[in-house]
Amino acid sequence: MRKLKIIKNIKVKKSSKFLILLLASILVGTANAAIFYSLTMQPQVTVSTPIIKFSQAPDHPGGTVSDAWCCLTAKSYPNATLTYEKALYINNTDDTAHSFMLRYVSITPANGTADVANWNSIKFLVCNSSGYVCSLNFTVSSNYWMLAPSGGQTNYYSIPASGVWWIRLETLSPATATKGTVCNIQIAVDVQQ
Amino acid sequence: MLLPELFALLSSDLFLLLSLLTCLLEERFPKPVPYIYQIAAIMGFGHLVVTKMFLTVFDVDLRFWYNFFYLAVGLANVVAVNLYLAVSKKTWLLAKVWSASVTFPTVFISIFFVYNYGSLQGATFPLLTVDLILILSVVIFGITVAVLLSPKLLKELGRR
Repeated sequence: MRKLKIIKNIKVKKSSKFLILLLASILVGTANAAIFYSLTMQPQVTVSTPIIKFSQAPDHPGGTVSDAWCCLTAKSYPNATLTYEKALYINNTDDTAHSFMLRYVSITPANGTADVANWNSIKFLVCNSSGYVCSLNFTVSSNYWMLAPSGGQTNYYSIPASGVWWIRLETLSPATATKGTVCNIQIAVDVQQ
Repeated sequence: MLLPELFALLSSDLFLLLSLLTCLLEERFPKPVPYIYQIAAIMGFGHLVVTKMFLTVFDVDLRFWYNFFYLAVGLANVVAVNLYLAVSKKTWLLAKVWSASVTFPTVFISIFFVYNYGSLQGATFPLLTVDLILILSVVIFGITVAVLLSPKLLKELGRR
C-alpha cells in the first residue's frame, strides 16, 4: 500500500507524457507504414479468361481446343497438299486491339533424323477477312526442317477489338512418305497485353 | 495504384496527430483523451493487419468502405476537437488556429485522396454517394469556419 501511495505521488510532467506519446506515435506510425508497404508489394494473380483465345473453326482437323491452348491432330497426304482452310479461330475478346505473333517452340521428329523426310511442308498461315496476314512455315530439305521466317517467329500483328482471325493449315508429304508417321509441332501465340 | 488501405493509414496518422496535439493542450482536454487517440491509432494498425491477412477474401468495394469509414471517423474527431475548442472551451483564437492548421489541411488532403482513388481506380463503388458525403462535409466545414470567424453570425441568424 505504501508503495502504491509513493507511485501515486509521482507527478508525471507534461514533457515526459508528451515524450512517451511521441515515441508510441513513432512506433505505431512506423508499424502502420510497414504494413501498408507490404500490402502495396503484395501481388495478386487472378485466374481469368485470356483476352485473345482459341476456338474451334469449321475446318478444325481434330484434337482439343481450349481458351489458352490447343492441340490439333492434322493429317498429311503423300503427293497432295491438304488444306484446312479455317483450322482454328483466334478471337480477340477485348474491346481494344491487341498485337500477337506466332513463335516456334519445338518440333519432332528432330532435325537430322530420317523421319523428317516424310513431309515436304507444314504451313501455318494467319488470315483475316482481308486475306493473308502472316505465316510460320516448316519446309523440309533432305532431313532438316527449314523455318520461315528464319528467326522462328512472325512479326507482331494487331488484331482489332472483337476481331476474329483464323489459322489456315497446309500439309504436304512426298510420294515416298511412310503411313502412320507422326510429327508434333509446338507453336506459341504471344499476345501483347 | 492507390490502395483503399491508404485511407486507414491516413486516419491512423490523424489519430496520432490528435493524440500529440491534445497532449500539448492537455489543460484544455480531459486527461485520458491523448491515450484514447493512441488506442484509436493502434486500432488502425489492427485494421491494416486484418486487411493484410484477409486480402484475398475481402473484395475492393468492401475494403474501400471500411477504410473510408475509419477515415470518416478520424476526420469527425478532428472537427469535433475543433468544435470542442470553439464551443465548449470558448477559445476562439485557438479554434481558428486549429481550423486553419489541422482541420482544413486534413479535410482537404482526404478529399484529394478519395477523389484520386475514385478516378484512378475506375472503382465500381457508387461515386455519387462519396460525392454527396464529401460535399456535405465541405458544407458543414464551411459553416463551421464561418461561425468560428464571426461568432455573432449564429446569433444574427437566430434572431431572423
